[in-house]
Amino acid sequence: MTMTDDAKAVLPPTPGTGSDIDDAPVLTAAQQKRASSRRIRYQGGLSGRLIGYTGMVLAVLLFFVPLYFIVITSLKTHGDIYSDPISWIPNPFAPENYTYVLSEVRFDRYLRNSIIITSILTVVQVALGVMCAYGFSFLRFPGRNLLFLLVIASLMVPNQVTVISNYALVASWGWRNTFQGIIVPLAAVAFGTFLMRNHFLSLPKEIMEAAELDGTGFFRTLFRVVLPMSWPTLVAFTLITVVTEWNQYLWPFLMSDTDAVAPLPIGLTQLQDNEGLTNWGPVMAGTVLTTVPMLIVFLILQKQMIKGLTAGAVKG
Amino acid sequence: MSLSRRSLLGLAGAGSAALALGACAGGNTSAGGGGGEEGDGTIQFWSNHPGSSKDVEQSIIDLWNEENPDTPATLVDGGANYEELGQKFNAALAGGGLPDLIVASDVTWFNFAFTGATTALDDLWSEAGVETDDLVDTLREDYNYDGKHYGMPYSRSTTLMYFNSEVMDKAGLPTDRGPETWDEFAQWAPKIMEANGGKPALVVPDGSNYLDWYFQGMIWTFGGAYSEEWTPTFTEQGSIDAATFLQEQVAAGHIQIAADANNTFAIDSASALLQSTGSLGGLTESAEFPFHTTYLPGPKPGACTGGAGVAVPDGISDERKVTAVRFADFLTSTKNTITFSQATGYMPVRKSAMEDPEEAKYLEENPNAMTAIRQMSENTQPQDYARVFVSGGGQRIGAGLDRIAIAGEDVATVMEDLQAETQEVIDRDITPNL
Repeated sequence: MTMTDDAKAVLPPTPGTGSDIDDAPVLTAAQQKRASSRRIRYQGGLSGRLIGYTGMVLAVLLFFVPLYFIVITSLKTHGDIYSDPISWIPNPFAPENYTYVLSEVRFDRYLRNSIIITSILTVVQVALGVMCAYGFSFLRFPGRNLLFLLVIASLMVPNQVTVISNYALVASWGWRNTFQGIIVPLAAVAFGTFLMRNHFLSLPKEIMEAAELDGTGFFRTLFRVVLPMSWPTLVAFTLITVVTEWNQYLWPFLMSDTDAVAPLPIGLTQLQDNEGLTNWGPVMAGTVLTTVPMLIVFLILQKQMIKGLTAGAVKG
Repeated sequence: MSLSRRSLLGLAGAGSAALALGACAGGNTSAGGGGGEEGDGTIQFWSNHPGSSKDVEQSIIDLWNEENPDTPATLVDGGANYEELGQKFNAALAGGGLPDLIVASDVTWFNFAFTGATTALDDLWSEAGVETDDLVDTLREDYNYDGKHYGMPYSRSTTLMYFNSEVMDKAGLPTDRGPETWDEFAQWAPKIMEANGGKPALVVPDGSNYLDWYFQGMIWTFGGAYSEEWTPTFTEQGSIDAATFLQEQVAAGHIQIAADANNTFAIDSASALLQSTGSLGGLTESAEFPFHTTYLPGPKPGACTGGAGVAVPDGISDERKVTAVRFADFLTSTKNTITFSQATGYMPVRKSAMEDPEEAKYLEENPNAMTAIRQMSENTQPQDYARVFVSGGGQRIGAGLDRIAIAGEDVATVMEDLQAETQEVIDRDITPNL
């Protein structure tokens, strides 16, 4: 390596004493090297740019084509779905798949159940997660780390393993086929505690001390100081919770008997036929209808997430 | 976010593993001991609605509720398919909250009976006054284990050949019968393909869609079988010959193996279809060309029975059991089995249904529905133990056949694997408990 020679030869520059005429700051060899490599990367050759764009297009197609197919299949007639060669535009246009779904499987009920289950679970899980995390990061009490380890350990147990014992308990309370039977066993999740605690610990101590000096109380600190600094994490956590609970299948399937409490993923299976003929048009229409509420939630929360990020940046 | 069937199955698989674990762990809250679990006065009927029959089932239940206001029945969504229903029932076995009546498929009923999860029906039949002689004999005897019956036939099917009549006419082949043997099919196939622009002559569902069930009839006609009672016979000459024939026909383009074979046939991408009678209703609605159904190729028997029956959990109180059997009797009564079979394409399970003048008229007008019923008495036999009684048998054989037909692997090797794996499960699960 010639690095050592370079370092010896060029001493750190002192402003104003350089022998160069121009006012540009004097760069060391290493700095020049870095700057030139940066220039190559950014300005790039045509080929570099092409590769970049190709990659982007491929990535977009990878996401977009399956989604596009779900949407167009939901608007196709049965014969059109299986036409050979594949038709890229529904012909004939068949929006009746949607009316079929809405009338055939009591979609409204499944949707209502999904909204009830998901919203209650999200509120409970986020509240529990934030409270626990706040306690674990800012309260000092004996056995705190041990208790936290226990909470984390529960993350390591796959929930399929606890299904039977949960089932036995809930069934013995007579909670089968009820909302509380579906919601309560799903309500406590350690993931939020884990995520939020780690974020709270990363907050600067000085701000907490300043808040303490200003005389904010325990909960006031949480709501006026800690949470406003944690929006991005909190929103991400909420989003994950909403999507997970919306798509929850195994537990609601075991608990629910009828469309009185069963959520959408279970309703969707009603559209498929066992030994007969599955018409994928309505199945895809149901899938689209199931996906749309999540897309809306995502779009709303995503804005919040970015807001949180930039707000923090300005203040910092 | 999109919910594919495969991801569902994956989930279900994970669930069943968990259920198995849970069952080992046991629990002191589990019900079902002593006098049996009492219910809430309503009959819980767990069904996966075979053949999209939810509406029909509900209308039959409405009739029952009118006649029996003291013991009303509730239709419960038991899952997307027979396997999911089995898992839900397993959870109830471990955790309590047992149903009164469940749909148990050809593959699941035996394991429930074998482990004592469902009860023998013979005494209950006489107590509830069920005329068992009226049930079609072969269908009733399918649920016979150790001299007792553990199920009542409900949505029963056999395999059928569906032919596109136009193509067969064009090929100059008979439309009033199917090929007599699979060799005759091999001779027909090139003509059928020529008449329909080179499309495959026959499409058969793949291994994850019960290829093992459809192939069972074929293997018999070659003198082979999956098993003789508890002895696997995958490596017998006849079995090897049948599998080799399947592989050759697929390689020649005569037979196509498809995940969604019904739809392939319905949009005329193949000229014939090997499928369950349960598909008749759906195909009649969606196929835009005339088609006819035939027996499977012989020599007889060249087809197997399948589909599902209903079974009663052992863990419920005796009173609930009798009521459940009375309800099962109603569900499969002459009138209701006619309603159900006409709506779905499944077979009527009562002899008296055949004598019903309206049903006779219906069958005359719908010869495709008649094929299954006639084949039932002439061309079928019960399934091999290796598929239906050995746990996981259907899936195991289906996967093996996929390796032979789709991946083109060496027939002898795959069959030896199947032989060994089946033997291992029998030695582990069955032999110690016989």
